[in-house]
Amino acid sequence: MNKIIDLYKKTERLLSDVKFAVVIISLFTVSLIYGTFMESYHGTDYANRLVYKSWWFMGIQLGMFLSIFMATVVRLPMKKRLYGFYVIHAGLIILFIGSFFTYINGIDGQLQLLPNTPSSTVFINDDILRVEFKNLKRTFQMSLPYSYGQKSLNTPINPDVDKIIKVKSFIPFAERDIQWVGDENHHSSQHSSQYMIFNENFSQDVTLSLSPRSDYKSSERMGLLNVHYMPEFLKSCFSNVGASGFIIWNLITSQCYTPEDKGYPIGKTDKGARFVAFTHGQTLLKFFPDFAPVAVNDDLTKNENSPFRVLSADLFKEKPNLFLFGKSVAYYKKRKKTWKVEDLTNDNIVGLPWMNFKIRLLRHSNDTFPIQIPKAVTPIQDNGKIIKGNIKAVEVEVGGKSYWVRNDGPLELSNSKLNVRLQILPKEIKLPYQITLERFKMNKNPGTNDPASYESFVQLLDGRGATGIEKHHVYMNHPLKYDDFTFYQSSYFPVGRNEDGSEQYGSAFSVNYDPGRFFKYLGSLFIVLGSIWHYIINRKKKKVLV
Amino acid sequence: MKWILAFTLLLPLVSFANDCDVFKEENPVLAGGRVKPYLVLANESIKFLTGKSKFNDEAPALTFCRLMLQQRTGTEFDFPILVEHVDSKKLLGVDEGNNTQSASSLVQKKDLIRSEIMKQKESNSFKKDLNKVWARIDLYEKIVSGNAYTVYTGGSENSGWSPLANYMDQDLKQVIESSVAKFKIEHDSNYMLEYKFAKSHLFSYAMLVALVGIFMAVLFKSMRWGVILAIFTLIIEAIGIAIRVMISGRAPITNMYETVLFSGFGALTIALVVLLFRKDKTFLLAGLGYNILCLFMMMFANNMLDSAISPLVPVLRDNFWLSTHVTTIILSYAALALSWLVANMTLVKMRIGSLTKADYRYYQDLTYTCIKIGIVLLAAGIILGGVWADYSWGRFWGWDPKETWSLIVLLFYMVIVHGRYSSWIDTHRFIVLSAAGFMTVMMAWFGVNYILASGLHSYGFSEGGAIFLGSFFLVQTIIILICGTKKNFKQVAK
Repeated sequence: MNKIIDLYKKTERLLSDVKFAVVIISLFTVSLIYGTFMESYHGTDYANRLVYKSWWFMGIQLGMFLSIFMATVVRLPMKKRLYGFYVIHAGLIILFIGSFFTYINGIDGQLQLLPNTPSSTVFINDDILRVEFKNLKRTFQMSLPYSYGQKSLNTPINPDVDKIIKVKSFIPFAERDIQWVGDENHHSSQHSSQYMIFNENFSQDVTLSLSPRSDYKSSERMGLLNVHYMPEFLKSCFSNVGASGFIIWNLITSQCYTPEDKGYPIGKTDKGARFVAFTHGQTLLKFFPDFAPVAVNDDLTKNENSPFRVLSADLFKEKPNLFLFGKSVAYYKKRKKTWKVEDLTNDNIVGLPWMNFKIRLLRHSNDTFPIQIPKAVTPIQDNGKIIKGNIKAVEVEVGGKSYWVRNDGPLELSNSKLNVRLQILPKEIKLPYQITLERFKMNKNPGTNDPASYESFVQLLDGRGATGIEKHHVYMNHPLKYDDFTFYQSSYFPVGRNEDGSEQYGSAFSVNYDPGRFFKYLGSLFIVLGSIWHYIINRKKKKVLV
Repeated sequence: MKWILAFTLLLPLVSFANDCDVFKEENPVLAGGRVKPYLVLANESIKFLTGKSKFNDEAPALTFCRLMLQQRTGTEFDFPILVEHVDSKKLLGVDEGNNTQSASSLVQKKDLIRSEIMKQKESNSFKKDLNKVWARIDLYEKIVSGNAYTVYTGGSENSGWSPLANYMDQDLKQVIESSVAKFKIEHDSNYMLEYKFAKSHLFSYAMLVALVGIFMAVLFKSMRWGVILAIFTLIIEAIGIAIRVMISGRAPITNMYETVLFSGFGALTIALVVLLFRKDKTFLLAGLGYNILCLFMMMFANNMLDSAISPLVPVLRDNFWLSTHVTTIILSYAALALSWLVANMTLVKMRIGSLTKADYRYYQDLTYTCIKIGIVLLAAGIILGGVWADYSWGRFWGWDPKETWSLIVLLFYMVIVHGRYSSWIDTHRFIVLSAAGFMTVMMAWFGVNYILASGLHSYGFSEGGAIFLGSFFLVQTIIILICGTKKNFKQVAK
């Protein structure tokens, strides 16, 4: 027993020592400086995860609390000379208690309001993984850790139901990293390529793939330019387009030819639509290539099952269309009225007929295809926006295989046993009442385009009471306070156009619930009064030490 | 013969001057979101375009008008546009040692500038400068095309305006005169106050009076005249601040220029108030010295501190909280600035060796007085900020860089205050730390906007401040290294 008392005395002496206070305040200051710089380079969320909401920062704050508390305790009973000191330190203790309540029970979230659409869902800045077993009709949620870097988890999604899905790791800030993979199931005709399209002002890498398992598609829009990625063998037909402009593509034999090659006649309907027809085995296939590349049945429905496609090259003459066949490129030269096919070997640059654009082949592969693997990065912010590392990703293991779930869309997996949908979502809180945006108004400074104020006119409907619909006007420095929650106008987003052609906006509110508010105000009051007492009133009584 | 030649050459210039007569400096125009006198529009525009307050030593209003009418009268002239960044200079073919490029050449390089801006993916200082050059070319073109000068056509004060470009084919004299007359009849002439204010150069007079005051106090050892002139300085500044309030209709502390002005005013006020209780010349000198420093910055650090009165960002539009919270913080910075000056004065005197041990203890006590006022005000200011944030955003504290840095300042001074109770911070270390402590204030005040520049408080962002801050930190560190050594202190202690 004596030992315990002895230990307590020692701890008390250490914690109440002013030297301990100096050390802990200095530590706190240094971590704050570190935090502000991290925020400036890497954004608010990263700084919160790395510093302000980390365990060690909480530890320093606990140290501050203990130092203040003990310093006050050892100076009891009260001495008149120290009244100011007691008030300040009591204020700080109350403030810490208030902050603790906020930390434990407070809510800080976002409410997005679309025009005239009731909403009661508040999103908070915590991530969850939602797993929906469609065949079992069951849904599980798992909170993701509030970490700043990649974190291994290795936990099953729900231990008592199944061990089929295991959550391996979480990356809060990731970039898409292209990886080229291949296996024995891969067809060499499903090739993939990466190009750089550039002119003096602009440069962009484009990755295209014919493989259905790739994360990249076979076509891409870059402004006005349409890029089509096609199997290699089709290039011979583009260099040899006949008078009809039709190209027949046999999906089974991977061959192409023109109607002129085979002597198929080109017909015209009464209304002037061109068509081509030929027999395949026993069946007669009819195509209207100017409308669709697939065959057409007698009742004019599309026949997607036939192993032929007929393309009409004429359709691609007017607008900028670029055809890529892996190591070659085709485009229509309007002036010479011919299709031009050119080879792209490595380091070979081909000029395109639009705005001085040029194209270069960066990578081509027949036996591998590109997929996107999230890679953990330190985020970078620019003017409040995350410009690098704005993807969140979770790696899951399903049936021994690894998959990535990203926050930009759900991952759906299905086989004979399993039909599951995985999503990374922000955590939600349901309010017991609904808020509807009636009107959003933005005033601009006269003669300029800078916003002067944003205002939202909302309706609040609380089903719990019989108050009916309340109308509120929410704008800068005038939040809506209801049911201990505060809703303040934080931003807005465009959602399309009104009937009269003016821009229509949705409104975003920040939502806050602070159970420590009373203590914070009380503590603050004590601190201000205490410091005035300590430094200004006491001063007169003290003799200046010279 | 010579005379005739000279006369014919001058003739277009003379006719010009006549054309420009109608654009009187006190004409009201709508620009930058409010009605202001043409003089202010011209001053701000010429300043922004050339980086200097005047072009060829002529009144900015005349230059503005000549630009505006050059196409109409066929008297085009070469006008320089400011290009600051080394890489922008290289891109736009500006010679080294030169800071401007002719407007006509820049107008033709617009495509080049735009493509270079697009190429820079991250916003570095080069991109920011190019954006500024772009904005300057844009303003230049607006002036030349007659779209920068607005003519009142009738209607509401803020919307009944039309650009001069629409009247270029008419008799300008009649258009302008009737529009000015109409505006005067239909609306009050608040802009005239701004015109008189811009013409008066009040703050130059304040600086002159303060300088004379400090000379009286130092050279002639006349406390009385020092105090009287200090009070005069305060009166002139108070009038200036009051006029700015009347023009803008809000608390006078919404951008860097105004906070610097207010801190100088506040420091001198605090110094004079303390002087009532402690008859000590040092306070007067520190207060006047800091006031002059502030006025000096306002006058010459134009690139960093913009004197223009422009509309506020929506978040700050609350006069009650703006005036209480920011004023308290700036006053606390003013008090801490006094402590910084006294501490540095002590350090330098110690180095020179003109300090007795009693003096030394005494100066330390003066520094401590200023710090005490500073931390009480700072704590109150931070708390007021928290209450404002809670009132309008529902949260007391959000680790925003500006609020975090103000807390860092408070904590730094808390270390000093607590350290004094232990044996760690003796008189000597106290002086050194008080001198160094103002670096945290400068970081919170300027550094967050100029170096960190993110978060809710980033309204005052502008370039050029980083160099200023860097030099400040360097000079302060050198003073501490040279004057604050233990050896110097031991000499005093004997």
